[in-house]
Amino acid sequence: MAAETALQPSSRVVSGLILGVVGLFLAVATGIQTGAVDLSWQQVWAVFTGDSTEHVHRVVFDIRLPRTLVGLLIGVHFALSGWLLQLLSRNPLAEPGILGISAGASLVAVIAFIVGDWVFSSGNPYNNASPALDYLSLFAMTGGLVAAVAVYFLGLSSGRLSPLKMTLTGAVIAGMLHALTTGTLAFWGHAHTELVAQWLAGSLYGAKWNHLSSLLPWTIIGLAGVGLLLRPLKVMQLDDEHVQTLGLPLNRWRAFALLIATLMAASAVGVAGPVGFIGLLIPHISRKLAGPGLSAQLLLCVVLGALLTVGADVVGRTLFSPYEVPVGVVSAILGVPFFLYLLSRQS
Amino acid sequence: MIQTENLSLAYGATPVVNNVSLAIPEGAITCLLGPNGSGKSTLLKSFAGLLPARSGRVLLDGQPVNEWDRQRLALRLAMLPQKPIVPDGILVKDLVTLGRFPHRKWWQKNQAEDNRIAHDSMAMTGVAELADRPVEALSGGQQQRVWIAMALAQETSILLLDEPTTFLDWGYQLEVLELLAKLNREHGLTVVMSLHDLNQAAQFADHIAIMAKGELKAKGNPSDVITESLIQRVFRVETKVTAAADGRPFCSGYAAALKAPETAIT
Repeated sequence: MAAETALQPSSRVVSGLILGVVGLFLAVATGIQTGAVDLSWQQVWAVFTGDSTEHVHRVVFDIRLPRTLVGLLIGVHFALSGWLLQLLSRNPLAEPGILGISAGASLVAVIAFIVGDWVFSSGNPYNNASPALDYLSLFAMTGGLVAAVAVYFLGLSSGRLSPLKMTLTGAVIAGMLHALTTGTLAFWGHAHTELVAQWLAGSLYGAKWNHLSSLLPWTIIGLAGVGLLLRPLKVMQLDDEHVQTLGLPLNRWRAFALLIATLMAASAVGVAGPVGFIGLLIPHISRKLAGPGLSAQLLLCVVLGALLTVGADVVGRTLFSPYEVPVGVVSAILGVPFFLYLLSRQS
Repeated sequence: MIQTENLSLAYGATPVVNNVSLAIPEGAITCLLGPNGSGKSTLLKSFAGLLPARSGRVLLDGQPVNEWDRQRLALRLAMLPQKPIVPDGILVKDLVTLGRFPHRKWWQKNQAEDNRIAHDSMAMTGVAELADRPVEALSGGQQQRVWIAMALAQETSILLLDEPTTFLDWGYQLEVLELLAKLNREHGLTVVMSLHDLNQAAQFADHIAIMAKGELKAKGNPSDVITESLIQRVFRVETKVTAAADGRPFCSGYAAALKAPETAIT
């Protein structure tokens, strides 16, 4: 019986990973093939072998491929950020949205967008020449970091991190930042309100190669950071004082984990807006499938986060085509029932 | 060895331990006794360098404990908190292996030696056959033995335990105490723990320190410290102290001594 319980999680991890990777591959392929203009698989294949019409080439390379890849990275970012935050705060509800990180990132990004637009496009709302757009991720990261640091320090209770206090503080700060974002938009949004509102719902609309290149460095930094954190995180699941008596400088590692989680979430917000639920759902699903092994959880988070986001985006832009349902909305609608199913099966 | 000099500790503005000077003998079992809120746990935490001293100091091998590098300290001294957190779903062997953490750099993986030592620790505490079970599924006594195995895997010569018997039934309490006595006897482990049961302390301790209201009221071997008058003053309990078969003191005939308020001690 002992051997059976030891084997079970790892075989589940392997099958979960294989299914996830296959699913991800199919979702990416479908993401490239379907859309406002449906392409045949031959046409898609022709793009990669180099003999296709310029029109098809442009649809695939300039629009669908970057969008799909950005979606993939966004999913990885939010899933890993949520996973880190849940471990770090010992709170299953933690995720960048609830802790105010996404809201901080959104507020600063919206302000940067509006100010940049006001400075650079001199009254023409349809001229999106503002350089602020290219650096939106950096602005978002600044906002996310400020919010994260505030929530972290306000969540301390006599020098120790209190999960309850941190979550409450995060929820309150997130609420306040949301209100400020909405207010900013209502007063100064003008012609951009619709565009920004779509972004705030979490959308991959108009994702381009430059978005991908502004995300990718943070994906690499984030993955490297998570790799460094893997062993300390195992110990950090214990009681604070217990961790310290095992020789781990807790505050330093906690700050580092929070930094990585924030950079990943906020850089993703800068590109696709505050996509909700992925950061909450994927870590839970990964934990349920993987069991207590952190490396297995991590791998599943990466694959399933990418799968859910790419899949949700494909569904969102084909279901009511030519209208688009933002990826944040679809991922919540797809992910929540599965999550509830896993929860109900547990108890 | 651990030694405190005129140590005072506080949580924020609240003083908790006041002017305690105490030396913990090496290779012995020391019990900290005292009513709830007397400062036992706080004192233990200060031994592990977890609380800065308000005044006075805690010395470990002659050096102030908060000047020790955390990792080096973790090789000298292990601590088991009163209610340790069990990581979700963790297996016994994985939890015990966490005790090896200070022996490796943070980027290093566990090596064969770590797994062997973790296995030996589980064998010593009698949980080797539970290695592949989730910790949450074990009984309180088994869990406590797993935690002790984790502390042993840390391979320190000093083990601090904060009320290791409080949440256990009588049988498990004795089992844990006998295990600690065996580790002390066979491996020379220095054990420092806080307890509530005077007779258990009298039976297992070589050295007892009694705290009340943050002050050290008595220290010494069990027969010198456990006396009827001291128990009445500190615990407000009337008792009869006799000698047990092994010559150690034994308390019986408890009755709350309501007429002796604690203010009388000061």
